[in-house]
Amino acid sequence: MTYLMFLLLMGLIFGLIAVASNPSPYFAALGLVVVAGMGCGVMVSFGGPFLSLVLFLIYLGGMLVVFAYSAALAAEPYPESWGNWSVAVYGALYLMGVILVLFYFYGGWYESSWVPVDELSGLSMFRGDMSGVALMYSSGGWVLVISAWVLLLTLFVVLELTRGLSRGTLRVV
Amino acid sequence: MLKILIPTVMLIPTIWFTPKKWLWPSTLTHSLVIALFTLTWLTWPSETAWSNLNGLMATDPLSTPLLILTCWLLPLMILASQNHTTNDPINRQRMYISLLTSLQLFLILAFSATELIMFYIMFEATLIPTLLIITRWGNQTERLNAGTYFLFYTLAGSLPLLVALLMLQNKTGSLSMLTLQHSNPLNLIMLGDKLWWMGCLMAFLVKMPLYGVHLWLPKAHVEAPIAGSMILAAVLLKLGGYGMMRLMNILEPLSKQLSYPFMILALWGIIMTGLICLRQNDLKSLIAYSSVSHMGLVTTGILIQTPWGFTGALVLMIAHGLTSSALFCLANTNYERTHSRTMVLARGLQMVLPLMAMWWFTASLANMALPPLPNLMGELMIISSLFNWSPWTLTLTGLGTLITAAYSLYLFLTTQRGPLTNHLLHMEPSHSREHLIMTLHLIPLTLLIFKPELLWGWIF
Amino acid sequence: MNPYIMSIFLLGLGLGTTITFMSSHWLLAWMGLEINTLAIIPLMAQHHHPRSVEASTKYFLTQATAAAMILFASSTNAWITGQWDINELSHPMSSTIMMLGLALKIGLAPLHTWLPEVLQGLDLTTGLIMSTWQKLAPFSLLMQMNLNNSVMITMAIMSTMIGGWGGLNQTQLRKILAYSSIAHIGWMILVLQFSPSLTLITLMIYIFMTLSIFCLFKMNKTTSINSLAMSWSKSPTITALSPLILLSLGGLPPLTGFGPKWMILSELTKQDLNMIATITALSALLSLYFYLRLSYAMTLTLSPNTTPITNQWRFNTKQPTIHLSISTMLSLMLLPLLPGIMTIIN
Repeated sequence: MTYLMFLLLMGLIFGLIAVASNPSPYFAALGLVVVAGMGCGVMVSFGGPFLSLVLFLIYLGGMLVVFAYSAALAAEPYPESWGNWSVAVYGALYLMGVILVLFYFYGGWYESSWVPVDELSGLSMFRGDMSGVALMYSSGGWVLVISAWVLLLTLFVVLELTRGLSRGTLRVV
Repeated sequence: MLKILIPTVMLIPTIWFTPKKWLWPSTLTHSLVIALFTLTWLTWPSETAWSNLNGLMATDPLSTPLLILTCWLLPLMILASQNHTTNDPINRQRMYISLLTSLQLFLILAFSATELIMFYIMFEATLIPTLLIITRWGNQTERLNAGTYFLFYTLAGSLPLLVALLMLQNKTGSLSMLTLQHSNPLNLIMLGDKLWWMGCLMAFLVKMPLYGVHLWLPKAHVEAPIAGSMILAAVLLKLGGYGMMRLMNILEPLSKQLSYPFMILALWGIIMTGLICLRQNDLKSLIAYSSVSHMGLVTTGILIQTPWGFTGALVLMIAHGLTSSALFCLANTNYERTHSRTMVLARGLQMVLPLMAMWWFTASLANMALPPLPNLMGELMIISSLFNWSPWTLTLTGLGTLITAAYSLYLFLTTQRGPLTNHLLHMEPSHSREHLIMTLHLIPLTLLIFKPELLWGWIF
Repeated sequence: MNPYIMSIFLLGLGLGTTITFMSSHWLLAWMGLEINTLAIIPLMAQHHHPRSVEASTKYFLTQATAAAMILFASSTNAWITGQWDINELSHPMSSTIMMLGLALKIGLAPLHTWLPEVLQGLDLTTGLIMSTWQKLAPFSLLMQMNLNNSVMITMAIMSTMIGGWGGLNQTQLRKILAYSSIAHIGWMILVLQFSPSLTLITLMIYIFMTLSIFCLFKMNKTTSINSLAMSWSKSPTITALSPLILLSLGGLPPLTGFGPKWMILSELTKQDLNMIATITALSALLSLYFYLRLSYAMTLTLSPNTTPITNQWRFNTKQPTIHLSISTMLSLMLLPLLPGIMTIIN
């Protein structure tokens, strides 16, 4: 399982580099999907299958929108992928950065933290994420209310920023 | 103290609520009454020399002459600015007198404060009214530059002073002038202590101004309106001398070595600024540089810290305050008639303004320290105590006195004697208001000849 | 903007800051910060001008980055120490990252570059909210944390200096105010670890002064130094007071702005940081220069105007001016009351 964890974390890093190295939007969206999938995989390994499932579904929904957006609005005739020079240079730079940071932190607490928690799940009475969800609904009720309010607020924000044909903010520039 | 402070504060409603016709006369009378009442401070009954004590303020023989000079200057400034503000709207005139009054308020609080931080705050508080007077009522665009110089030179010196005072408070636990000299001597050996010494004195040396950091003064004087020049030369520069005298006794063990560079700069500055005066063609600039030269003498007198040095410095400060203010008033009477500060364009004025020539003569003589006047007493005391400190200083101070005489003569000869220039034939005669200003400047100076112990400070 | 929508956003703005104030848990504090950021973005972009859109995009990106750093720092800390409490942020790495994230949120010096750009794109009311209300929540977090001394002092001094230097060659008032805000925040952060209540007083007085200066500019409808020169014909009294407000921002005694500087320098000398105190005091001169330049342009010179313009002051202004008058009085005359305020807040 530690090897799986290693692979997932490597995938997370490479996915982030894939987004950050500034390719065309299609490829960047692909990188985002990779990051989302790997992140959910990490979370599963650390003992949160329910939360990671929810998160993955939401991510998939979001990614569909991003794909649709990039396919419809930001399509380029000559898309740049990671094979192109500029993108490759960026990617190499970020990779170098990651390796440098790795050397700096190697030997610290990162090494032991690769061990997935779920290997020890036989020892505990109940699963962390399940009780977490229960707690969220029982004693964290107010937080839930606030979260709902924040979602509503976000809806208003998005509507306010994009509404109208000529006055929509994001269309002016 | 409140019997002076409350009338000073109440001057402001007087200014804003009197009818237009009575604005100048009533403020003048009111401030003159205040000035006369300050004369009651001239008694010092107690042994410790502090009198009129209250929680925050007190007077002593060092601050009393300066306080009275401050209060005396306000009616004179009001009298002097009456003519050049007549074209302003009435509210602007009221604002102008209010600023002058607030300046008097801050100066009284500064000179009578018994707490060093209170003195510091009021020392800084005088900056704002002075800045507004210079930059709002000055005549040319260079006034903005002058205001910037004025503000930044002073603040660059005085912000380290604030830090130094706070450090002193942490060391001694109190900043009260009443008890500071009785506190335990400070143990000053580190490099940081030397910097602290610099921080304590630099603000005042800039304000004096010491030669080398004096560039703000001629600019400010040249660009300021008459009242600004008067208060700047007469009282604001003396804040520096006063602050130095208050702080010198706690800086004791370090001043012996560390004051040498400043002594050299001050002595050299007497000569240099005198020489600058000799080839000056701008009337107000000449008087300003002569102030720098006299203040150099005051600085040396304070820095050698002998009783004669301190007394001489105080006497010279008061005498120079009255004299330079009178000279600026005279320069302003010329300026109001010729609209130029250039001396060549306004020469030979004795022909058209004969009575003013008499005032020019007296003021120039006072500036070069004619024998019975207090100016001479101050200069002599400082020069002789400097001679005692090191005989070689006599070459510099003697040469300085000679140059002072030379430029005073140059000032008088250029403005008054010789042929009149052709463009000056149609000039207003001198007003009795102007004669009154000059009289009020020179009467105290003359009367002080008869009772100079009023200015001798707490040493005697 | 529709008033109902507007009220929802303003409510969100208040709610976010309040949640951050009352939380003792990092997650809730982070949530408050995010609500705050979300709610102000439509207010920033309400004029649909390219500049304001650019400003709101930049603001969104920086604040999202800062929030991500805060979340990362707090979750790392929870991972290492098992504590989510705001007071328990003890691991050095997470506390440094948290410090950097909050510094990015308030615009402290090496992370300040977004602030002038963003403020320049806003109208004056939103700019006022941006430079006062938006600072409250991050400061409430900063005051509860255990912080890294040297990083914070370095950033604070850098901030006072850059705030002074950056404003020197600006002609746009909102950029100047942004740099002034950077410099003031440097002062607040400098004393934060020695006396948090002093930081609170400084922040409060800074808010009064900024309120009065923004209201002043709003009343005169000025956004650049050039248009400031025309303001004397609109309202003579407030024009006469404006150099005092500006010099109070610059910290000249006996105005209110001197009080916090004095107290901060006093606290620094008590901690034997004399050299730092001197450097910071002198760096205030840099900011003072541009305040002085503003007051030159506004009050101390009279620029020529056409005759009809000078009649404007005879008409009463329709905007309410009570907040302007109150904040002006507070920003000029509070210095004698400072000991009382110190006693209340300590």
